[in-house]
Amino acid sequence: MSARQSVPRQRLASPPGGAKARDGNAWQFGRKSRRMGQGPLVAVLLVAPLLARADNQSPSNGAWQSMRPQLYGTRAIGEIGDQLMSIDAPGSTPDPSATPIVVHFGKELTGKLKQVRVIIDNNPSPMVTTMNLQPGLPVDEIDLRVRIDRFTSVRAIAESDDGRLEMRSTWVNASGGCSAPPSASGGGTVGEIRFRPSNDAKALQISIRHPNNSGFQIDPRTGDPIPPHFITHIRLSASGQTLMEADTGISLSENPTLRIATSEPLATPLTFEATDVPTQARFTATWSGNGSAAK
Amino acid sequence: MTRRRPLPSLAALLCLAVPLLARSAPDAFSLDEIAPGVFVHPGKQLPLDAPGHDDIANIGFVVGARCVAVIDTGGSVRIGGALQAALRGKTALPVCYVINTHVHVDHVLGNAAFAREHPVYVGHALLGPALTGSRDFFLKNYAADLDAPATAAQIIAPQRTVAIGAPLDLDLGGRHLSLRAWPKAHTDCDLTVYDAASGTLWTGDLLFVQRTPVIDGSIKGWLAAIDTLAGMPVRHAIPGHGAVGTDLQALLEPQRRYLQALLEEVRAQITQGGSLQDALRDVRPLAQSGWLLWESTNPRNVARVYQELEWE
Repeated sequence: MSARQSVPRQRLASPPGGAKARDGNAWQFGRKSRRMGQGPLVAVLLVAPLLARADNQSPSNGAWQSMRPQLYGTRAIGEIGDQLMSIDAPGSTPDPSATPIVVHFGKELTGKLKQVRVIIDNNPSPMVTTMNLQPGLPVDEIDLRVRIDRFTSVRAIAESDDGRLEMRSTWVNASGGCSAPPSASGGGTVGEIRFRPSNDAKALQISIRHPNNSGFQIDPRTGDPIPPHFITHIRLSASGQTLMEADTGISLSENPTLRIATSEPLATPLTFEATDVPTQARFTATWSGNGSAAK
Repeated sequence: MTRRRPLPSLAALLCLAVPLLARSAPDAFSLDEIAPGVFVHPGKQLPLDAPGHDDIANIGFVVGARCVAVIDTGGSVRIGGALQAALRGKTALPVCYVINTHVHVDHVLGNAAFAREHPVYVGHALLGPALTGSRDFFLKNYAADLDAPATAAQIIAPQRTVAIGAPLDLDLGGRHLSLRAWPKAHTDCDLTVYDAASGTLWTGDLLFVQRTPVIDGSIKGWLAAIDTLAGMPVRHAIPGHGAVGTDLQALLEPQRRYLQALLEEVRAQITQGGSLQDALRDVRPLAQSGWLLWESTNPRNVARVYQELEWE
C-alpha cells in the first residue's frame, strides 16, 4: 500500500441517480473516482481537494516507471482535464477479479483516437491491453473488466492521430484478483460470445465465455496452480474493415467483457474474433445489429 | 496528473465507528445456553477488515452424554481458544467433532485451537477444496489471526465430509446431530446442523440476521435453500450472524426479500443492456432497511450476482 497518506476526503453514500450526477459544490468526485461507499456509520466531514489539480508525484514502485520510457520515450503526456479524458473505477473494488474500468473521451478526442492502453501498475501483468482503433472511429467510451491484484494505480493512455498523448489514472484498492478462484459463473461453453447493445444503440457490450486463467489461481481440487489459458488478441470488424483490434492478457477478468460506446452507432453486421493461448483457439461471432444476441 | 489520493485505511476509519457499536467488555467471552446443552457465543457485527473481525460469527457447541461437538471456531486461533476455554468451563467431556458450516475465514480459522483434543473435523464435501483454494489468500491476509509462524498446517480441512443428498448423523452419546450439505448457495460448501433433542438448527451463513447477507456462491441456489429452510419445523434457529431466534420463517423473510430484489434488479439491468458498472451504481435494494454494513456489502453482492446472471 502506498505510504503516501492524504487528507481524507468526505465519503458520501452514493447519491440517488448514481455517482455520475455531479453535485455543484466543492466536494466533487466527478467521474474520476467513484466510491463504493464503506463504513456507513462514519461521516467524516473534511475539506476535499478540488478535482483538477496538478500533482507531480508518480506512484512509487509502479510498473509505469519502467514502462513509460519503453512505450513513449520522453514524449510529453498530458494528465489534466476531465473534459478531455477521464478514467473511472471503484475506489475499493467490489470484486477484485472483475473490476469495471471506464475510460471516457471528450469531444476533442472522439474520432481522433489511434490507440488506447490500460496499465495496472501492481498487477503481475501490468499491461492490460493495447487497443488500436480505426481512424475516425467515434469512440467516446471504453469499458473493461479487469483483475486487480492489490492496491494499485490504474492508468489509461490514449494516443490521438496527431501523436498527442493523454493519460488519466486512478487508485483502486483490492486484494487477490489475479489469484481469485474461478467464480460461480464458471463453466458453460468456452468461446460463447454475447452481444448486448444499450437501449440507445450507442454502446455495445461484448462478452466471451472463457476462463482467462492467469496462471496464478490455485485449483481447489489439487492445490496446484491452474495453468494459464487466456485470450491474447481480439478484433472487431465490419465489412472486412478492422474497427478495433487489441492485444489482451491475464489482467482481463474471467469471461472477458468489453464495452464500447460511440457517438454514432457502429456499422453492422459486426464481427468479433478472439484467440487464446496456449490452445491457439479462435472464437468468432457476428452480430447483425438487431437486439442482443448470442453466437 | 489528476488523480485521487489514497484513502485512509478502513480500519482507521472504523476505529471511530466502533464505539458506536454495541460490544461486550473486552475480557468477557459470552456464552448463551439457548437450549439445554446448546451453547452459542454471539459474533459482533463488525466488518471483516476491522479490529475484532475475528469475532463476528456465531460459534458454539452442543454437549452430549459422551462428548461435545463444536460448530464453527471463529476467525482466529485466539477466538477458537477462547471458545475452547469457555467450553471447558461448562463440561469436562472431550470434543469429538469440530464442524465447520462453510469455508469463510470468520468460521474456520479457529480450528487449530482444538487440534490438541484430536477431534474429527467435519464439513461439506467441497469444504476441503474450498480451503485449498483459499489457503494462500488466508495466509496472506489473515496470518495475524493464526499462531506465529502462520502456516498452512493451521488451516484444517475436514476429515469426514457430508455429500449433498446424503445427510450425516453424528452421535454425541444419546444425542444425535444431523448434518446436511447444500447445493451452492451462500458458498459452494454450506452445511447446516440440526440437534433433534432441542429442535435447534444451526444454519451457518445460510441465514444472516441484521447483517447484510454476503453472496459468495449462487443467488439462485440460496433462494432455493431459503424456500427449503422455511419449511423446516425448528424450535431454535442459530444464524451465522445475528440474534438467535425461535421463528425460522420470520428470520428468513428479510433476507429472502433482499436477495429476491437483488436478483430481479440485476436481471433487469442485464436485460436492458446495463453494464456491470451501471448495476453497481443503480442496484441498491432495500438500502434504507436497516441492514448492517449494507453500503460495503451490497456492491460486492451486485458484482457477484451480475456475473452469475449475465450468462443466463
